[in-house]
Amino acid sequence: MSFARRDVAPAAWRAEVSDALADGWRFAGLWAEDAGLRAAFARHGERLLLAAPAARDSIVDLVPAAAWDEREAHDLHGLAFAGHEPLRALVDHGAPTPEWTVPVEGRDVFQVAVGPIHAGVIESGHFRFHVVGERVLHLDLRLFYKHRGLERAAQGRPVAEALPVVQRACGADAVANAIAFAHACEDATGQAATPALARARTLLAELERLYNHLNDLSAICAGVGFAPGTMAFAGLKERAMRLNATLTGHRFLFGAVRVGGSDLAIPAAAAAEARSVLGELRDETRRAWRELQFAGSVQERFDGVGVLELEDARRLGAVGPAARAAGVAIDARTDAPRLAYRDLVPALPPRADGDVAARVEVRGAELPVVFDLLDELLAEPLEPAATEPGGPARRDGLALVESPRGQTLCAVALREDGVVERVHLRTGSYANWPALAQTVPGNLLPDFPLINKSFELCYACADR
Amino acid sequence: MFVLLRQLQRLRRDAALTAPPRRGSLALRHVDAGSCNACEHELTAAANPYYDLARHGLNVVASPRHADVLLVTGPVTARMREPLLKAYEAMPEPRTVAALGDCAMGCGVLGDAAALAPPLDELLPVAIRIPGCPPAPDVIAAHLLAHLHGEPPAA
Repeated sequence: MSFARRDVAPAAWRAEVSDALADGWRFAGLWAEDAGLRAAFARHGERLLLAAPAARDSIVDLVPAAAWDEREAHDLHGLAFAGHEPLRALVDHGAPTPEWTVPVEGRDVFQVAVGPIHAGVIESGHFRFHVVGERVLHLDLRLFYKHRGLERAAQGRPVAEALPVVQRACGADAVANAIAFAHACEDATGQAATPALARARTLLAELERLYNHLNDLSAICAGVGFAPGTMAFAGLKERAMRLNATLTGHRFLFGAVRVGGSDLAIPAAAAAEARSVLGELRDETRRAWRELQFAGSVQERFDGVGVLELEDARRLGAVGPAARAAGVAIDARTDAPRLAYRDLVPALPPRADGDVAARVEVRGAELPVVFDLLDELLAEPLEPAATEPGGPARRDGLALVESPRGQTLCAVALREDGVVERVHLRTGSYANWPALAQTVPGNLLPDFPLINKSFELCYACADR
Repeated sequence: MFVLLRQLQRLRRDAALTAPPRRGSLALRHVDAGSCNACEHELTAAANPYYDLARHGLNVVASPRHADVLLVTGPVTARMREPLLKAYEAMPEPRTVAALGDCAMGCGVLGDAAALAPPLDELLPVAIRIPGCPPAPDVIAAHLLAHLHGEPPAA
């Protein structure tokens, strides 16, 4: 799997993007590189990279999902986008409040400012709610408090040393980020995955999805103050993380992915033991899930809250469980020749209404699929594996991987000696934050924690 | 709900947590100064039924005004420097700062110097150091309890 690269003159940028969309290409990310601009698109197993030597015109009217990408390219790399009005500050925190918020005026309108430090054990980020009474009219997000300059920190390092930096863009999506980086590097160096390597990485990705989905259900229960659910799913998550530690030596699977191969070895006895642990975990998860469905007072809090309309999900480029809960059947796992998913069909909730209930249901629908996949992947022992030559080497590499939060894009440019010249990571959380903000107006302010937890987006991998 | 409660009851029995041998408590306020979110996951996990930090008198409180200990995660980004210092200033004395995880302890691996503030050690008086990437929930508990009981830091 590789991608088609089209070099585009700045003046033709909009026309090229417009043509790509008309041809059925789906936007996957936009970023600054070499003082120029790149945009990636995906279409049924194909990838397209548009490259322009300079930025000129905005494409936000064609691709609203590119709004954050353009604002970031402006704030961090100084690119200008004609037609993106107003180009509000995103990463740049120097701007005074009126310059990064949407003006909301009227009788009894006031603002509730929350964060960056929150009352619980929560990542840092600032939310500015414009409300009348308890009703939210508009939400302005200000993230990037956690901006660590990770992309810049990874640049100039050999790939093996850049990997831990990219991996730790997010602790909870470490595997997905690391696989995306490894795939992008292997794409650039013309390496393909052997079946054994694909199996090892798929196993890690699904172990990560398992503990994250269990964590999300626990967090959602916490969002409505349902302590038995919070603790039951927290207990299940703990067991999943202990299994991670048994299999790979790390509860978050850090260090288990490397570029160019895999050192993961799981002998037959350990694989059988893991399957039996997963079998028990599956039974108890099913029981806890049924209980959650019959907890009427909890379910009523979920219905009709924080609705992401199908049209908005498409327009804003939502990905992952949040998009599937709104009826957009996209899942990067269905289009992953470097991984071992074969005929995976994305699990959709019974009613894809885009509300909190649907986002809860989509986790419930995906968990049995994750258990099935893990059982199948552990049916045979795992041995260390390597890549094999699979295509021409070139400077650029591109990869899309489905993290627990959705499609993550990684783009790299490598020097001939294997040093990373540019790396860009656009995670599922980054893609979904604007969609989350869209669902909040019209809801009650006290429902925000629930809406937020139903997306369970990560701040760290958006901020980088 | 009853099935969930029974499941929890069984879990508690299997985990066989002991009653804390000593008295005392610490109110903890967490500030994420640029972590990768793994330290937050482990600090949250410390409240799950397998560890149940609260039985030792270790509780996360909502405001720095109610806190004895400031638990800081992450390498301290330039943008979190001011909120972090404000949270510290808001705490009543005596107050203690804990560096939770390798990043907060200044391992210096992650991040570009331009986006980071000076390390936590240079900003605030760090008294508790909890190593790990991330530290597991039992490690977090061991270090906080050693501090609470005036013992040398856990190995």
